[in-house]
Amino acid sequence: MPKTKKPSSSIKLGASFRDPSGFLFTDEGILYRKVNHNYAENYDCLMESGLYAKLVKAGLLISHQEVKQAWAKGDTAYKVLRPELVPFISYPYEWAFSQYKDAALATLSIQKRALKEGMSLKDASAYNIQFVDGRPALIDTLSFEIYQEGQPWVAYKQFCQHFLAPLALMAFKDVRLSQLMRIYIDGIPLDLASQILPGSTRLKFGLLTHIHVHAGAQKRYADAEEERAGMRGGMSKQALTNLIENLQATVRKLDWDAGGTEWGNYYDITNYSDVAFVHKKEVIAGWVERVKPGLVLDLGANNGEFSRIASDREIYTVSSDFDPTAVEQNYRRMRKGKEKHLLPLLVDLINPSPALGWANRERDSFGQRGPADMVFALALIHHLAISNNVPLSLLAEYFASLGQWLIIEFVPKSDSQVQKLLKSREDVFNEYTRESFEQAFEAYYVINEVILIEETKRTLYLLQNRE
Amino acid sequence: MFFLSNALLSGLGNELAYLDPGSGSFLIQLLIAALLGVGVALRASWSKIKGLFGIKSETDEDAEDEEAIE
Repeated sequence: MPKTKKPSSSIKLGASFRDPSGFLFTDEGILYRKVNHNYAENYDCLMESGLYAKLVKAGLLISHQEVKQAWAKGDTAYKVLRPELVPFISYPYEWAFSQYKDAALATLSIQKRALKEGMSLKDASAYNIQFVDGRPALIDTLSFEIYQEGQPWVAYKQFCQHFLAPLALMAFKDVRLSQLMRIYIDGIPLDLASQILPGSTRLKFGLLTHIHVHAGAQKRYADAEEERAGMRGGMSKQALTNLIENLQATVRKLDWDAGGTEWGNYYDITNYSDVAFVHKKEVIAGWVERVKPGLVLDLGANNGEFSRIASDREIYTVSSDFDPTAVEQNYRRMRKGKEKHLLPLLVDLINPSPALGWANRERDSFGQRGPADMVFALALIHHLAISNNVPLSLLAEYFASLGQWLIIEFVPKSDSQVQKLLKSREDVFNEYTRESFEQAFEAYYVINEVILIEETKRTLYLLQNRE
Repeated sequence: MFFLSNALLSGLGNELAYLDPGSGSFLIQLLIAALLGVGVALRASWSKIKGLFGIKSETDEDAEDEEAIE
């Protein structure tokens, strides 16, 4: 529990400045949310209407405790909350298609439930959704306002930009277009989405209206202040509910066929024998049980086969890969199995998610969200060192910044997978030997154990950070 | 234009609504809601007509929302 101390030592979080209802801060490493007086009535309504309890029970909103200590409140705070912690923050440009779709549907489900209790979401930011226990949940307790009869949905535009436009682009154009979310911090502009989407999407009522006509209306009525004022009071609650239900139906119909993959069926085509596969798993499992990490970062996790060695032991595991198909398969498998300790994420290690937003402080880079207790880099290093020409010393440096322990697989040049990579290019990788590998990594790590995987030329290393 | 009423005009300014909802985005909601309203009405009459001939309407697929989680 926090000790009694001056609130002046607390640090306000860089992502928490837009909403005047309150903000997030940390104090002695503990995360708090301040509720300002101007939000009091809305906060009380959330708690007293039963909406909070219902959403928390349904897993759609993170829970919180009200902090009683006097220091916390100060003069300006109505309440100070201590929210349930999210094990690892993720961003929409790191989500698989189905992950993104589930986040959109969770937002709409929350809005529908809120309307039933006389409240409404005043924002619909994709960044307010995080994956907790394997399911999308709202993390911003201050997103609700008391519903006023007649009001259209104030967050409608944001919902379309943050959810509908990226999902439609992923479904109808190219799944990689989710990366536009990296560029546009407040969601993909609808006129841009409308231009990129195939003309056939105009034949679908939901996409025609919520994206194409919506984009046109935004342009035409950009300065129509009086008209907007006139429109207030023009939308009944039933009409608003119909709108939300139509958005739900539109999102549900969006689909992406995760076929045609680079790595999707990697484990079927790889040259691992059954013996090697089992031996590799046994070695990793033994090391995981010895180190007992709290958070594991699996880099180049493919469909999460090896991530599950940790997550099945109830160790929270971020299972990242750069292939959208692999991440999609990983997420679908996680959802089907109701797995709670796994977070599949789309991360390209050659260009990991940067710090973004105002002053580059709103969204953390991939590395800033660690460090993890343990990092996995299995069957990965040859892709980075050979396909992408990253020197071994730089790999060691970056991996060391991500976590305390490292399980890394060294794949030698004689391995058939490496031979395949070298087939189409000149071998300029004189440095790529086991000796150079050990030398590069020993600058940052102490070698704890080395095991050759049976029936392969590959070696597993357990390394401990020197820091 | 679309069931516009100025009755609630005053007092609706909400200092907590920190997002700019956008004029076009407000207008389009009214348009879509109006179209959906017509659709709902049509569907209701259609199922009544079908009811006269003893045809059952399909179940409401949106019952999902109060979900299994409860």
